[in-house]
Amino acid sequence: MNSNDNNWKCAKCDMPLVKKKTLFTYLGHNITYEVSRCPKCGSVFIPKELAEGKMAEVEAQLEDK
Amino acid sequence: MLPEEAAAYVNKCFNGEPASCTYACPFNMDIRSFMEKAARGRWLAAYRELRNAVIFPAIVSALCDQPCRSYCQRADVGDEALAVRDLEEAVIRLTKSRKPENYFIPAKSGRVAVVGAGPAALSCALLLAQKKFAVTIFEKEAVWGGSLRRHPKFPEFDEEFAIQLSDVDIEFRYNNEIKELEALSSYDAVYVATGKNGDSFGLLPDWNAELYSTSVSGVFLGGELVGKTLIEAIAQGGVASKIIEGYFLSGSIKKQPEPDRSKRLRFLRRKDLEKKPLVLKSGDVYSEEEARAEASRCLLCDCDYCEAGCEMLNYYKKKPKKIGLEVHTDSMAASTVSPKTITRETYSCNICGYCKSVCPEGVDIGALLQFSRADRFNQNKNIPAYHDYWLRELDFYSGEGFFAAPPRGKRTCTHAFFPGCRLGAGEPGYVVKSYDYLAEKFDAGLILGCCGAPAYWAGDNNRLDSNISLLRQSWEKLGRPVMVLACAYCKYIFSLFMPEIPCVSIYEIMGEDGSVRPVSYFDEAAVFDPCAARNDIKMQAGVRRIAGRAGVKIEELEQPNRCCGFGGHISLANPDLYDIITANRAEASDKPYIVYCANCRDVFFQKNKSSAHILALIFGIEQRATTLQEKKANSLEVKRIMMKKLSGEDFTPQKPPWDELSLSMPRLLREELDRQLIIEDDLKEAIWMAEASGDKFINDAEGVCQCSMVKPALTYWVQYKKNGPLLYEVRNAYCHRIKFIKED
Repeated sequence: MNSNDNNWKCAKCDMPLVKKKTLFTYLGHNITYEVSRCPKCGSVFIPKELAEGKMAEVEAQLEDK
Repeated sequence: MLPEEAAAYVNKCFNGEPASCTYACPFNMDIRSFMEKAARGRWLAAYRELRNAVIFPAIVSALCDQPCRSYCQRADVGDEALAVRDLEEAVIRLTKSRKPENYFIPAKSGRVAVVGAGPAALSCALLLAQKKFAVTIFEKEAVWGGSLRRHPKFPEFDEEFAIQLSDVDIEFRYNNEIKELEALSSYDAVYVATGKNGDSFGLLPDWNAELYSTSVSGVFLGGELVGKTLIEAIAQGGVASKIIEGYFLSGSIKKQPEPDRSKRLRFLRRKDLEKKPLVLKSGDVYSEEEARAEASRCLLCDCDYCEAGCEMLNYYKKKPKKIGLEVHTDSMAASTVSPKTITRETYSCNICGYCKSVCPEGVDIGALLQFSRADRFNQNKNIPAYHDYWLRELDFYSGEGFFAAPPRGKRTCTHAFFPGCRLGAGEPGYVVKSYDYLAEKFDAGLILGCCGAPAYWAGDNNRLDSNISLLRQSWEKLGRPVMVLACAYCKYIFSLFMPEIPCVSIYEIMGEDGSVRPVSYFDEAAVFDPCAARNDIKMQAGVRRIAGRAGVKIEELEQPNRCCGFGGHISLANPDLYDIITANRAEASDKPYIVYCANCRDVFFQKNKSSAHILALIFGIEQRATTLQEKKANSLEVKRIMMKKLSGEDFTPQKPPWDELSLSMPRLLREELDRQLIIEDDLKEAIWMAEASGDKFINDAEGVCQCSMVKPALTYWVQYKKNGPLLYEVRNAYCHRIKFIKED
């Protein structure tokens, strides 16, 4: 399944997603990362490749801290 | 956490400590290191090990009665102890240059007078002179040697004194008998070693055996004068030199650390060790080859039993004492800035008790890491995602899945069946039929629930306590019956936290009951005993009796009671290690397994290892692999059947609004989600919420939707396609632990 973020839009706002710096938090640490979001309502879109790739890597690093 | 709290778990570990022989040696010589060097033919290195410990190698080697050999663990396997003295002799002969090492140390100001020139006096004088103190020896005779001069080997000893004393500055004043201590008043310290029946200048009655000191400040006594043997006298000379050195440096007299000699009795358990007979000398002394062969017989005793057998300890390669230290430092680390060093390891332990079972001192690293998990949980320093699913499952079993009742028409019972949470989850028939069996035999009630192991493993003591209260209250209400358990871990948890409750294993009952006629299932099989049954001989025997009656030829595993991998709920904390452990267990025998723990059975389903629960033999019910969602449904089904049977009531599970959704998904995805402990109920909830709120993403080109659901430990994502009213096809699902913050 292609999860290229460009093909997705926010169902509620009917807006295509844009890249935006977003604040993430885990185990008391804060991280900023650019992800696809609805420009109107701000809904965050995390594709599988990000969740199981970069995010899982950061999770593992913070868990070992 | 106090440092001593963590250390208390591991302080009996003696990994890295000297071997038993060293604790028997008057000189505390590192015999293991000496042997290791000699075995490799490193003669000079072996010689220095010897020389640094015993001061006069040729003398000590000739005179020592080798107490070390009585504690040599070679003897423990039926061989003769290492030929220590012969090896020392060979090493002395094989060392090309025995010239003493000389260090460039600046001269020190302390002036020492040594009275006597026997072995005790010379050893003390030599070591102080090596440290560059100004040493003067006063001897009434014209030569050195003291009592050794009467020994037949004195010519050799004389040569040894000459070699060892060749490179130090000591002033010898022979033919100089000291009659009054006042004659030595210009010296800063005096060591009196005048030999057996020698002159102590009246100080012997006040002699302090630990400090070697006397009533006169700066005057010390030692050697045969104070009743020591020759060997002890030489060793004592070494200790005296350290006391005097300390006296110069600090002005005070301090006791030198003495090893705990009781540790010489510390033996490792040796099993299946190849025997190696003593190497005989072809001449007077071992040849080079013979010496290497003899030294190679040394077992280089050091304990690594836990690390050698436990995959987790082997994976991290940390020694128990280091683990104890790190558990403490992690506990004290501030949550955001300080690095923690042992977090993942803490959650990678099966807490199965294997390390304790192989440790000569019973050190239980699992108990330490469980203690650490509880400490982390209390401090909010745990990793919620690791145990979130299991704690939610526990909540289900102590909530909607819970049921306790006496037998139909009664208020109390003599026995109550507690199948544990996962037996019926895997196969409802095992619980229903086991209960029927017990109800025919006893006045049997029932408690359906979980023992609380998930909370114990997560370190969540509050949840554990409330589950224990629930079980205890139910037991009280049933009239304090004997609990009949079907899971070894439940029995272990009961024994730990509810010791007042009498428990018996259903396998023990069935094993003793000749009327239980199991069906033939396997011709041959290995019994895979669960870790928690390690000390439960009756449970183990019961299972074997049943299997024997079924005509199964039983093979015993080389390492019984190893955790299947499920223990401690490590699969999310360390998936790689989980795979290693489960694969090792599946491969422990090529025979199919008979198991009696529902979790072992599940692990072997995952590994496609042919196995059967012992109850499959008894009831002839073949179990099939179940997903987490099916396990939940099975548990509710067990409750429905049993409630009807015991209370006559109908059980209707609570249905959340999303329960009416019907999901389809590829088999591989379902298996992957199970591995990640994501169940269908979570996906349904996410889809239902998204469809109700419209909060989702759409991909028109593909005709699919995607939504997320944020829960305390995890954020779930589902990609799906609506195929009809309430009918959804799940294309993908995943989760992450990091949370996004939706501010601008």
